Formats: sequence, C-alpha cells, structure tokens
Amino acid sequence: MSEIPAHLPHRYPFLLVDRILEREPGVRVVAEKLVTNGEPYLQGHFQDRPLVPGALLLEMLAQAGGFLEADSLHGSAIFLAGVQDARFRAPAFPGDRLRLEVKAAGAFGGIMKLNGTVSCEGRELCTASLLVKRP
Amino acid sequence: MSDLKLRVKDMIIERLKLEGMTPDQIDDGAPLFGDGLGLDSIDALELVLGIEQVFGVKIEDEAAGMKAFKSVQALTDFIAEHAKI
Repeated sequence: MSEIPAHLPHRYPFLLVDRILEREPGVRVVAEKLVTNGEPYLQGHFQDRPLVPGALLLEMLAQAGGFLEADSLHGSAIFLAGVQDARFRAPAFPGDRLRLEVKAAGAFGGIMKLNGTVSCEGRELCTASLLVKRP
Repeated sequence: MSDLKLRVKDMIIERLKLEGMTPDQIDDGAPLFGDGLGLDSIDALELVLGIEQVFGVKIEDEAAGMKAFKSVQALTDFIAEHAKI
C-alpha cells in the first residue's frame, strides 16, 4: 500500500506495518502486519522455533501509532519515549496475521500516550501503553 | 494541609510512582519541574491524565500547564478553580 511509506519514514527491513484497516486520526488506528518466514530477524530468533521478538510487537504498535497523526510524518520519525504495563501473553509466529490496534489516551507538551493491543484471530498476544514524542 | 492539597499530592505520588515518598515531603511551593520535584515532559503528560481522571479537570494546553504546574499550591488552586463540584 503506497500510503504507508508515504506516511512513515521506516523502510525494509524495519517497516512493520502492511495495511491500514481503520483510521481516525487522533483517536484510533487499526493496522495489520503479516508475519512471513522471510522476516530477517526470524533467522536467529530462533533457528528451531521462529517467533517474533516481543520488542518488535511494541515497535509494530508504535509504527501503527504513527498513523494517528493526521499528516504524513515527512521523513521524521515519532520517537518512543516510554513503555508502560507491557504484557506478552502469547508469541506471534510466521504465518500470523497480526491486528495492531492503537488508541490515543492523551497528549500534552508534545508527548502522546497510546494504548495498544496486538492480536491474532481474536487472541490477544500483547498489550502495552506507549509514550511517543511527536515530531 | 487542606484536604484537596493532600489529594493532589497523593495523586502525584501514585501517578508518578514516587515510591517511598509521603505527601508531607512534597513542598507546597516548590516547582514540580526542574529544580523542585524534578519532573520531565513524560511526567507532565501523566499528571495531565491523572488530574483529568481524579478531579475531572482538563489542562487544555501548555499555557494552562505552565500555570498549573508551578507548584503543588498552584496546582491545587487550579483544580479548585476549575473543578465542577
């Protein structure tokens, strides 16, 4: 989808959002990431049992959160400033279609708080609150 | 200490996880940011969310924040002025 690289500065192999399903800027975004066997980090995480690192699930939520901004980020990233209450309930595997849902919880002084959930086929894999510094 | 001021201090301690700190250790007149409690911009957002949740008072923008976050006394006055009780 061409709107994604136009909006986010991230590129292969670190662009971790494939599709935007729902988007209400400033309020809520639902995005999607298909995990494939070709993901470079799966080669070593782990050789015998590939699974998505939990830290990358947080990164996926942060990237989805970039679409809460109404305008394109024009090459500048939003920066992760904090992670709160992260819970990893189940791993994500190659072949999983991940649903990334982020809701804006508030903003002040250039910092925004997001509540995020990564789920797969209705199962919650990860929940966390992210603090991001806006451009 | 006024009841509201105590509740404001309790909210600050709880929201910012200032573990081990008691309300009477927070100086009423000391600035919340910088030299006083030494809070940063992430703490500011947490306080804005906490004030809205606990007291139903919105801090709309940075100008309002500058005024409210001068000290615990200033914040207590701000909440008293804007709370719809």
